[in-house]
Amino acid sequence: MTPRTGPLRLTVNGATHQLAVCSGALLLHVLRNDLQLNGPKYGCGLAQCGACTVLIDGKTARSCILPVGGLEGCEIVTLEGLGTLEQPHPVQAAFIAESATQCGYCVNGIILAATALLRRIPDPSDNDIRQALKYNLCRCGSHNEVLIAIRAAARAMTSHMPVVE
Amino acid sequence: MNPSLPAASPAELLARPGVLAVVRPRPDAVAEPFVVLLDDGRAIGLNGHVDLGTGIRTSLTQIVAEELDLALSSVSMVLGDTLWAPDQGYTTASETIQVTAIPLRRAAAQARGWLVGKAASLLGVSAEELEVLDGTISPRTGDGGSCTYAELIAGETIVLDLDDSFPLKDPAAYSIVGKSTRRVDIPGKVTGQWTFVHDVRLDGMLHGRVIRPPYGGRDSGAFIGRSLLRVDESSIAHMPDVKLVVIHDFVGVVAAREEDAEAAARALSVVWADFTPLPDLASPVEAVRANPSTPRILKDTGGVDEALASAAFRRSHTYVWPWHMHGSIGPCCSVAAFDAAGSLTVWSGTQTQHMLRNDLAILLDVAPDNIEIVRLETAGSYGRSGMDDVGADAALLARAVGAPVRVQLSRDQEHAWEPKGAAQLMDVDGGIDADGNLVAYDFATRYPSNMAPMLALLLTRKVDPVAGSGPIGDRNAEPPYDYENMRVVCHDQAPVVRAAFLRGVSAMPNAFAHESFIDEMAEAAGVDPVEYRARNISDPRARDLIRQTAERAGWVPKIAPGKEMIAPDVARGRGFAYSTYLHGPFPGKAAAAAAWVVDVEVNKTSGEVAVTKVVVAQDSGMVINPAGVRHQIEGNVFQSVSRVLMEQVAFNEVAVTSRDWSTYPILKFPEAPVVEAHLVPRPNDPPLGAGESASVPSAAAIVNAVYDATGVRFRELPLTPERVRTGLLEQNGSAPPFARKMKAGAPWLAAAGGLIAAAFTMLSPIKPAIAPIAFEGAGVFTSETIERGRLVAAAGNCVGCHTDGASAPNAGGHALRTPFGNVYSTNITPDVETGIGAWSYPAFERAMRQGISRDGRHLYPAFPYTAFARMTDGDLQALYAYLMSQPAVKSKVPETRLAFPMNVRPLMAGWNAMFHKAEVFTPDPARSERWNRGAYLVEGAGHCAACHSPRNALGAEATGARHLTGGIVDGWDAPALGAYSPSPIPWTEEAYYQYLRTGASAQHGATAGPMLAVVDELSALPDGDIRAMAHYLASRSPSGLSEAATTRRADALTMLGRAQLVPIDNVGARIFDGACAVCHANDNLDMFGGQVSLPLSSTVHSERPDNLIRTILNGVHDPAKGTRGAMPSFARQFSDEQLAELVTFVRKTQAAGKPAWRDVPGAIRRIRTERPR
Ligand code: FES
Ligand code: FES
Repeated sequence: MTPRTGPLRLTVNGATHQLAVCSGALLLHVLRNDLQLNGPKYGCGLAQCGACTVLIDGKTARSCILPVGGLEGCEIVTLEGLGTLEQPHPVQAAFIAESATQCGYCVNGIILAATALLRRIPDPSDNDIRQALKYNLCRCGSHNEVLIAIRAAARAMTSHMPVVE
Repeated sequence: MNPSLPAASPAELLARPGVLAVVRPRPDAVAEPFVVLLDDGRAIGLNGHVDLGTGIRTSLTQIVAEELDLALSSVSMVLGDTLWAPDQGYTTASETIQVTAIPLRRAAAQARGWLVGKAASLLGVSAEELEVLDGTISPRTGDGGSCTYAELIAGETIVLDLDDSFPLKDPAAYSIVGKSTRRVDIPGKVTGQWTFVHDVRLDGMLHGRVIRPPYGGRDSGAFIGRSLLRVDESSIAHMPDVKLVVIHDFVGVVAAREEDAEAAARALSVVWADFTPLPDLASPVEAVRANPSTPRILKDTGGVDEALASAAFRRSHTYVWPWHMHGSIGPCCSVAAFDAAGSLTVWSGTQTQHMLRNDLAILLDVAPDNIEIVRLETAGSYGRSGMDDVGADAALLARAVGAPVRVQLSRDQEHAWEPKGAAQLMDVDGGIDADGNLVAYDFATRYPSNMAPMLALLLTRKVDPVAGSGPIGDRNAEPPYDYENMRVVCHDQAPVVRAAFLRGVSAMPNAFAHESFIDEMAEAAGVDPVEYRARNISDPRARDLIRQTAERAGWVPKIAPGKEMIAPDVARGRGFAYSTYLHGPFPGKAAAAAAWVVDVEVNKTSGEVAVTKVVVAQDSGMVINPAGVRHQIEGNVFQSVSRVLMEQVAFNEVAVTSRDWSTYPILKFPEAPVVEAHLVPRPNDPPLGAGESASVPSAAAIVNAVYDATGVRFRELPLTPERVRTGLLEQNGSAPPFARKMKAGAPWLAAAGGLIAAAFTMLSPIKPAIAPIAFEGAGVFTSETIERGRLVAAAGNCVGCHTDGASAPNAGGHALRTPFGNVYSTNITPDVETGIGAWSYPAFERAMRQGISRDGRHLYPAFPYTAFARMTDGDLQALYAYLMSQPAVKSKVPETRLAFPMNVRPLMAGWNAMFHKAEVFTPDPARSERWNRGAYLVEGAGHCAACHSPRNALGAEATGARHLTGGIVDGWDAPALGAYSPSPIPWTEEAYYQYLRTGASAQHGATAGPMLAVVDELSALPDGDIRAMAHYLASRSPSGLSEAATTRRADALTMLGRAQLVPIDNVGARIFDGACAVCHANDNLDMFGGQVSLPLSSTVHSERPDNLIRTILNGVHDPAKGTRGAMPSFARQFSDEQLAELVTFVRKTQAAGKPAWRDVPGAIRRIRTERPR
């Protein structure tokens, strides 16, 4: 098939970029290299681990396998777009308060998966959280603290209170 | 996030005004700073050990802040850079807190003491009267002046030699150490602001990829570095910007864009020699026992042999530990750059910076002093991973191309080549006397060592691939219990496969044996296993820990397995184990001690084991950061449960075959046990390394719990369902059922010789050529005509067959596979010489309607003129206008050479007489306009039957009832449309519409293979045409079901398919769970783009496995517009055997009611070995 080339319009973290990339280029490479974002990470390139997760139109997507060509007009959000050091998103704030990661390589995918989950189920059960993270791998074993942080984030978001220090 | 040091080098820093540094002097070199205070109020600690993702950075920050009486936020750490940090050896065995933090702490105390002394003389009071609060020194009384560290340092250059005698702060006065402290790195990490080594970006940096040899995971043997036969550069000739680097077995590519480097690495054709087969590693037992070894006697007290002979109860067992992976979530990555003077800087996640530097010096013939390693954090590695390897890869490529290069290893390279945690065999012969006393223990451990030289040194033949042996297998080799007579032998041996340190190295396996065996002895002695341990251990601190752990967990004493059934199939059990991790040379230094109480549930039918809860207590001495240690314990628990239950590296006779997370599964969130971590309070004892201790008792605790549940002791890991099932069956005295051998299937395509003979008895006259024209240019056509032609071309997907790979559209050369050989499509651009530029419209029309080329030659019916003949004149004229107005491309296509009889072109005249009716489509007046439009598109320009109808032995489409009942194109099944569709759900008009419009239908899955291009081209057609096609197709076999009923049936099938995915008790199920389920289990509810439900997909319901195999091997990389999904290729991940297991599993579970496919392995071999077109 003929590769479509030409400027591509990609909306990432609220800003629209015109990019001279091949439509077959992977979203992960474009985010990391063209837009210099560190949030999404390369973990497997096989949609198996979740390290490369981004939100597209509020849903989780594995940027390591998605060609950018089909994503014009979508709202893409990376970890950077969720919140900042100064004003973290409640899920990020909960992860900071609970020190809920070890090496932190997987945490991008876990936080974004949790964010999508809390949008669908604001008050998830322990089982809901485990199921929502079924396809996010963590080798360091941060599972326990992650579950605690997500429950804390859910409480904070449903009560509109900041995460307790 | 590394603190910016206000100088380019330590020498510059130590000469600068406004600095106080405590240093270790070095002869002939610049002193090494441990603590540096700056006149801006910041303090920086420097440590030679790095943070492996465990939070050590935070603990070290706490230590420095505590001794300096500074706020945590004023302190930062530099870890591991070769230029800055002191050389304190490798970061291993949790030694950081126990060993390397000591000079750091002293240096901080010394700096504070010096500053307080200076303030005392300035303020005219004695030092004892002063206190420090966050860097401000003032009299305790509150009276008088004060001054700050920054003020005291301003303008001064104070360099103090480290003085070991300096008094340290009294732990009773600690306010930071010992308090749970939030990790300093996490805010950056959860907001994407942290710089991992993967995130280094330099100006002018290029992207490199390496192509590794096929002997993945091996590093000794004469073939290492000597296996490359040739690299075919023409395979990447179409990527002119890619640079190729080849040094013996080292092969790499470099490109400006990462995707180009990846594409080049995929496309590059490399031919390797054959290699020495590996021993069978399915079980490590034979391989490790057969590996030559040297016995090293570690202990021999009393008379073991006599004691064994007279033991009242004696048991002799072999315990087996498999090869494990570190399994870092981030495959190794590094950046290397040379400066103009030839000095090299490598940005690395290594934990052995100085070894890396020395190895690079050998590899590149550069002096070590001209190499700087900048250490950045990376994904957790739990021991030495492939970080040094990738640093060398980057350096080699950077040197070759003269620019900074970043190399990222792929997941399959990481899995195959990371130096593994070694397998180990433990033989125990031991016994008790009639009173239950431990009288004899004869222990032999075999550990294939783990020195894993830097890969590039081997691949480039800089060092010889000789397997060396090291004395590593002896950690925790001595049991902690008081056996009266004891012999402990370590059989040192060279590696079998590439290996390196992995968390709990050799201690975990040795403890697995000791702690399993003691449980067995306890039962024989008729004593509760916890009580028995406590009785037989002389270390009071250990006894205390054992008792405390049991108490915390509510341990109920027992003297026999409880075998408690909590469901018809499910037994529950509880197990105990204890270990003090000993690291360093035998007998080793004690790190933290840990004990486990673990609860398991065993499904006795499926063999699945679930660890439901772990209570673990740890004695780490003084704890710097309790929250950090607790998290570290939890991390060890999850990881070791994963290793014990499910992990084992698979090999074939060539290499590692665990090349992704589905062939090497690890514990996931739903299976994560509840963990209770307790810290034994010991604030007055020295801190002990807590990094890996909690892993050590894991295996024995779990097998002891499984014994409690089932009465069966398992001595080989992992506890896969297969192993547990077999163990339970053996106990019941019945053998496991034989695996049924599949019969090889008959070839699906039978020749029809008789028909061929009959057809070719007729000969027809040769057709005349039509005179070439001098084409006047596209200006003769109106833009409306050209636009109409564009749509006709789209409906017919001309470009699909007439374009080869990445070459120019419509320039031909694409090979269409037929039973008679490859037919190469022609160039249909208006190039005069090689295309249709000299074709008049009548010549074009004759080709389209009769299959005769302008020069009079017969075309093969792979070109579907049989369908095109139905098109109206208007459409054909428009198509001609469109094609003639496209850019001319000079491109000669390969000649088509078919097997007899097809190689005799004139015989095609006979073919036409038999099979071709050149008639224009006539609308059916009884049908609606929409139906007729649909029929015209489907049967004419769309030529759906060319792929979707079966062909007879002569390649002619079947007609009548067999029209559109399924065909084969390019080796893909083109499924039947309508009543014979293999799909379990009838195709409705809406489903056809969705599929043709978007490439996917919720009820039938997504397109793959050649259909992708068809849908892509159809996107040019107006909605009305797509709806008309859907209407016509649906009318051919009305299902009689409403849309709602169809949806209900589809949902039910999807649910049914999902229910079949458990239990995960065989290889195919595990691969599906790890690789496929994320998109195909229909339980990933937050996923963008939706899931493709396999129970509804024609691919798995098809008569042959070909489409499924091809889709798995090729992936779906360029999905048709609208599906917004993609699937990776798994060709490099799965061995033929693994793929067969997966395909068989998918068919069995997702194609309800369909028989198993025959000869899946044969189909896989056939498809894998197809010649690339
Ligand atoms: S990197 Fe995308 S899922 Fe692993
Ligand atoms: S925290 Fe390291 S992989 Fe999850």
